[in-house]
Amino acid sequence: MAAAGYTNPLRDARDRRIPRVPDPCALVVFGVTGDLARKKLLPAVYDLANRGLLPPGFALLGFSRRDWGDADFSQLAMESAQKGARTPWRDGVWERLAASIRFVPGAFDDDEAFDTLQQTLIELEDSHGIHGNAAFYLSIPPPAFPTVLKQMQRTGLADSGDRGWRRVVVEKPFGHDLASSRDLNQLVDSVFTADDVFRIDHYLGKETVQNLLAMRFANTLFEPIWNANFVDSVQITMAEDVGIGSRAGFYDGAGAARDVLQNHLLQLLALTAMEEPVSFDADSLRIEKVKVLGAISLPSDLHAYAVRGQYEAGWLAGERAIGYLEESDVPADSTTETYAAVRLGVETRRWGGVPFYLRTGKRLPRRVTEIAVTFKRAPHLPFPVTDTQELGRNQLVVRVQPDEGVTMRFGSKVPGTAMEVRDVSMDFLYGEAFTESSPEAYERLILDVLLGDATLFPRNLEVEASWRVLDPLEAFWVGSQPERYRAGTWGPAGSDAMLRRDGRAWRRP
Amino acid sequence: MTTLWDTTGKEIVEALSAERRSTGAVAFGLVLTLVAVVDERNVRSAIDAATTASMAHPCRTLMVVRRQPEADTPRLDAEISIGGTGGPGETIVLRMWGRLALHAESVVLPLLAPDAPVVTWWHGEPPPHISHDPLGVLADRRVTDSAAAADPPAALHARAHDYRPGDTDLAWPRLTGWRSLLAAAFDACPDAAGPVTVYAERKNPSAVLLAGWLGPRLRSDVAVEDSAGPGITEVRVAAAPGAGSEVPLLSVVRTDGRTAVLSRSGQPDRTLPLPRRERGDLLAEELRRLDADQVYAEALAAAFSLTELNDRPQHRRHVWRDIAEAPSERIGEFLPGVSDVRATGGHTDPSTVEETAREMLAADWADQAKAAAAVGDTTAAP
Repeated sequence: MAAAGYTNPLRDARDRRIPRVPDPCALVVFGVTGDLARKKLLPAVYDLANRGLLPPGFALLGFSRRDWGDADFSQLAMESAQKGARTPWRDGVWERLAASIRFVPGAFDDDEAFDTLQQTLIELEDSHGIHGNAAFYLSIPPPAFPTVLKQMQRTGLADSGDRGWRRVVVEKPFGHDLASSRDLNQLVDSVFTADDVFRIDHYLGKETVQNLLAMRFANTLFEPIWNANFVDSVQITMAEDVGIGSRAGFYDGAGAARDVLQNHLLQLLALTAMEEPVSFDADSLRIEKVKVLGAISLPSDLHAYAVRGQYEAGWLAGERAIGYLEESDVPADSTTETYAAVRLGVETRRWGGVPFYLRTGKRLPRRVTEIAVTFKRAPHLPFPVTDTQELGRNQLVVRVQPDEGVTMRFGSKVPGTAMEVRDVSMDFLYGEAFTESSPEAYERLILDVLLGDATLFPRNLEVEASWRVLDPLEAFWVGSQPERYRAGTWGPAGSDAMLRRDGRAWRRP
Repeated sequence: MTTLWDTTGKEIVEALSAERRSTGAVAFGLVLTLVAVVDERNVRSAIDAATTASMAHPCRTLMVVRRQPEADTPRLDAEISIGGTGGPGETIVLRMWGRLALHAESVVLPLLAPDAPVVTWWHGEPPPHISHDPLGVLADRRVTDSAAAADPPAALHARAHDYRPGDTDLAWPRLTGWRSLLAAAFDACPDAAGPVTVYAERKNPSAVLLAGWLGPRLRSDVAVEDSAGPGITEVRVAAAPGAGSEVPLLSVVRTDGRTAVLSRSGQPDRTLPLPRRERGDLLAEELRRLDADQVYAEALAAAFSLTELNDRPQHRRHVWRDIAEAPSERIGEFLPGVSDVRATGGHTDPSTVEETAREMLAADWADQAKAAAAVGDTTAAP
């Protein structure tokens, strides 16, 4: 890296065509044969290379227990990239990437393997000019963290001194509850400095999620009504139509609440409910998110307002789906939930009294993630009751996926001679949704890790605040049976009852 | 898709509304109107490029195809499609014959998307003076392609004389890949640069622009030399004099139009992708920003030894030229690049271009001063 005080004469703050390209560096992926690496990481690296966003000196290293050489790993990487890449396949781009691919075989507790890894990185400094910069992506099961981190500490991989930066990327779950997440954080922070730890919540890399911030803070239109004076309730839904597939090993110990509610849903809640940051740098955003996460309150009556469900056999999208307990590797007496719904409050002046209903589940009819803000009814409607019977409440819905966009629902006159008012939904689709040309979340996030931009990565405080919300819920649910619901329905009856108690109903996305 | 033969502007507007209703499109996220001035033989390629661009920036595309301006009877044909092969927005192809061809704005104005920015793009040879083309005067952004001219560097030179903030040329986004690579190379290159040489195909306008960008920033002389191409093939930065080395400080070589080799003294060579880009891509890049590109203006100014292009007024006053007064052999000047024109159009004399451009600039400065004076603003004087 050039000496401090050097400014690149070819860079100009007004020049917005040239993208920021990371410093020459290496990306080391632990657990590179896993699902995530093959389906998301490796294709994302290819896409970044194809878009010209990788630096001239770049190397990709895989570390895994397979007895492979560089060429075997390169083959796996190529197949993964071909299958999952977003941008068109170009042999030339792949060839150049392939020339910088290395593989180090070894188990996580294998001292020699880590020494080889350290050696390979040093060699790459000379052959590829990576200047000692390296990002370590830990795509490994949580129990393996301590081992891998200790190895990195021992070999000095975690700290290259003045020679460059070293960063670590961890995937959720960040621990199992508040205590374990604190322990994990302490461990990671002891090996890397806090600024060098990047926790990935891939939802934050999505264009639509970032667009929520743009919508709220770049416009005057929405801010005045974005509070308890006008908002009746907020529903945040993340529904999946798939079952757990082969992930029983991890999922049965975690459950829907830990898997999705603790991270994605609470992050979406934070972005919806937070106050406006004074600027868009990482620190300012973080301050507001931590503030709002700390203000979340749980309902006093958890029986009524926290629901767990578990799917049983049913039919979904024309195919038969087996029940959770029949899935492979799931114990027959498992009480793990595949559906979780809870009513939360945000105790701030802006949101006091507004219920936030969060739900997530597997084997629901559709895959959809959305944030629906429902507004209060007008205090007085000048129309005769019969003419407005069909009128619901105004809604603003941010569709995070699929069909990224925004829906606005408001009352409109039914054409004809009488004055009948009915709800009409206006759907705005983001232009970029027409093609797959908006960058995938992982592309954005990997690039940000390599650039050192932490804006889209939750820090310790956010993770801990999120666990503080979930821990009491988990404690309440210990030993209880989740309510069954048929695969292909929108969840257990108890969840509908939860909203009916408040005179509301779940929106059908 | 609806096709209208020998129609009127009013019918087109009505057909557009009908088309919208029949495709059930209730709301669009329209960002801008793209007015594309195209020659008939290039309509297909222009539609493809506009489609690519509109995928990223949903817009209403109006293709203006001028044909046979010396024809006796004016005539207007239109093809209207929403969604479909033309991309997510609305696409209207307007073909105009006869004198109507010189008054395209009369048909285009009512079709502009309400209250949205207008970008006018000339697919073929750029007009020597945008002020002569009402489609350019009404636009907020103007995109030309000097590479489509018979003498591209001269056309780019004319663009420099005629420059106003909000103008760009496709020679500039063609350089984005080169500029990214060079900027990334200089991120870790603290040594001072010596003379620079850019090797490119003969008469490549992007090479001239690249020289204009590099020169002032590296504080070095930049020469442009011919090579076999395609496009720009090499940028060589010599070590500063007195650095005591014959080896160039840095060089980027691309001979196949796809892959570049970055060589730096003291470091191993690096191969990187550097493909030549499609027009649709270039256009999509231009549509990303609808404000003036100051870095482009500075590079353009440096390339042709002009100054302060960024300080010019944005406003252009439309200068009317009656084609009826033009001798038939000079009709081509009024409509550069229209292949139907029987008379061979003359390429305007460079010195006339400069002189006329200066006159127009003076007139536009005067307009601006007058407008400012009318509201008591004395700060806007040139």
